[in-house]
Amino acid sequence: MSLIYSLKKTKKGVSHAVYDYIGEIRPFAKRVKNPLLLIPLVFLKTIEWSIYRWYKTPIRRFYGVKGNELIYMITNACNDRCPKCGIWEKPEPQSQHLMISHFINCLKKLHHNLYQVTLTGGEPLLFKKDVMLIAEEAKNLDVPMVIVSNARFLDEEFLNRYKALGHILVISVDSVEGEKWNEFRGRKNFDIVMPKIMLAKTILGDQLRIQSVLSKESAEEIPKVIEWCKQHGIQHNTQFYQDFGAYNWHNPTTNEEVRYDNDTPCAARKNICVYPNGDVVKCFDHRRIPLAKEPLGNIAKQDIIEILSTKRSTQISKIMKTCDFPCKNMSCNKPQTLLFN
Amino acid sequence: MLDSVQKQSKPFDKVYIIDDASPLKYKIHHDFVEHILLNENGGPARARNYGIEKAISTGAEYLLFTDHDCILDQEWNKQMTSFLMTTDFGAVGGMTYSWGKTLLDYYHDINGTLAGKWLLPDRKELWYMPSLNFGIKSFVVEQFGFDERFPTAAGEDVDLCLRMRSKYKIGFCPEAKLWHDYGYKNSISGFNKFMKLFKKYKSSSATVYEGHTVLMWDASESIYKGNIHESNIQS
Repeated sequence: MSLIYSLKKTKKGVSHAVYDYIGEIRPFAKRVKNPLLLIPLVFLKTIEWSIYRWYKTPIRRFYGVKGNELIYMITNACNDRCPKCGIWEKPEPQSQHLMISHFINCLKKLHHNLYQVTLTGGEPLLFKKDVMLIAEEAKNLDVPMVIVSNARFLDEEFLNRYKALGHILVISVDSVEGEKWNEFRGRKNFDIVMPKIMLAKTILGDQLRIQSVLSKESAEEIPKVIEWCKQHGIQHNTQFYQDFGAYNWHNPTTNEEVRYDNDTPCAARKNICVYPNGDVVKCFDHRRIPLAKEPLGNIAKQDIIEILSTKRSTQISKIMKTCDFPCKNMSCNKPQTLLFN
Repeated sequence: MLDSVQKQSKPFDKVYIIDDASPLKYKIHHDFVEHILLNENGGPARARNYGIEKAISTGAEYLLFTDHDCILDQEWNKQMTSFLMTTDFGAVGGMTYSWGKTLLDYYHDINGTLAGKWLLPDRKELWYMPSLNFGIKSFVVEQFGFDERFPTAAGEDVDLCLRMRSKYKIGFCPEAKLWHDYGYKNSISGFNKFMKLFKKYKSSSATVYEGHTVLMWDASESIYKGNIHESNIQS
């Protein structure tokens, strides 16, 4: 008998409980040689089975809720030059870019317990072919996928294939006015990208989301983005600005005020994050935790299970349970289903 | 327990008893034992880690674990040690039988409550082995110690095995036998104890699950007398 019960989503409800019970009792009963002892021993086995099944079983586990999100920063490189983000300033050399097969292996290993795989960057669609490979594998493995993109490289063929796979596309939009857009993106591409967003809405429908970063600089623009999304029937989410090495934008309020969610433990401990070179961390803001300054391992060199099983990995998870850095309010700490209005 | 430790056909190089600040008063009359009293109760994981540190500091190559309520077969050390010496397994579990003769004890025997679990489908290595009948190589335990977040004797061995299996295999040595005293006086009065035992095991599962969400999916099967020789694990 497995020590931990978890309902498979295809076997929910009473029938699964009956199936599980019979599956436990039948082989056990066969071991009882004395027929007079059969009933009392099966009774004892039923008690044991009931305790493992019902006693103190958390609701989320009882219903088979999956526990981890796999987040892959597929590249640092980007075709935009947003001042809010410093990631594009350090694109990884070609030689350090992870082979896609390593990530696919990692996804296969973890898929049983993933509620979501997320691709972020840089700009993920710079590696459109790899992105589609991951999207197809995620579909095969029945793992929902989310891509966070600037929409610059969207095209009809990609969107149609993506639509068929049923995954979610999140486009980053901090302004819907041309001048501000170009300022926020560091590129004059408003007239190119806006039609692509409309095309994405037409093809993807409800599979399209828009996300904005709220900072002092974008504070006046975000309400307009929200209104624009309402008009076009697109789900929208706002997240607070975080410094990822750029330091050109600023929080809309002080850090203390941003920590609105003090009672909730950092959900990032459930996250498994992979950098462009294959380094694994539990959170892209790992560096804030002294024990986590170095990555936990690298999926090009080690099995992901081995990486997650190290003592340091467990210790960092424990620290993250109570850490209260402002990054815990970021969208990577929450499933997409809870994020969008 | 100590008498059975003393009567081993192959004597132990060193024996540590770690007393986890037990309220019981007792005396140990065996001079081959190093008796260590901890100042405060920290749970079996902490106590075992203390013993591990001591043993490794004296250069031990193979570390064997048992509990105060166990009686060892006289070949236990010989079998466990030679298994670790002659195979590539990072750790080994032995076969545990009930010491008592009640119906509840018989239940544990055919249920395999404390005899570990085969990793399916091959039954060539173990999914987990309980720490009352457990051996491990020193270089393995240096990398994978017990997690001291487990406050009681429940789940800490499952956790260790799950982590360890990411890198090493756990073998099974059915010839390394010991008897565990569950403490049932009879089947009626022992029923409450029986319930408490499984409740304790289940309570620990949340912590185990939290740490090993990605490792829980391997299928396993309890070991009992009828399936201890189902595979040739030496192959």
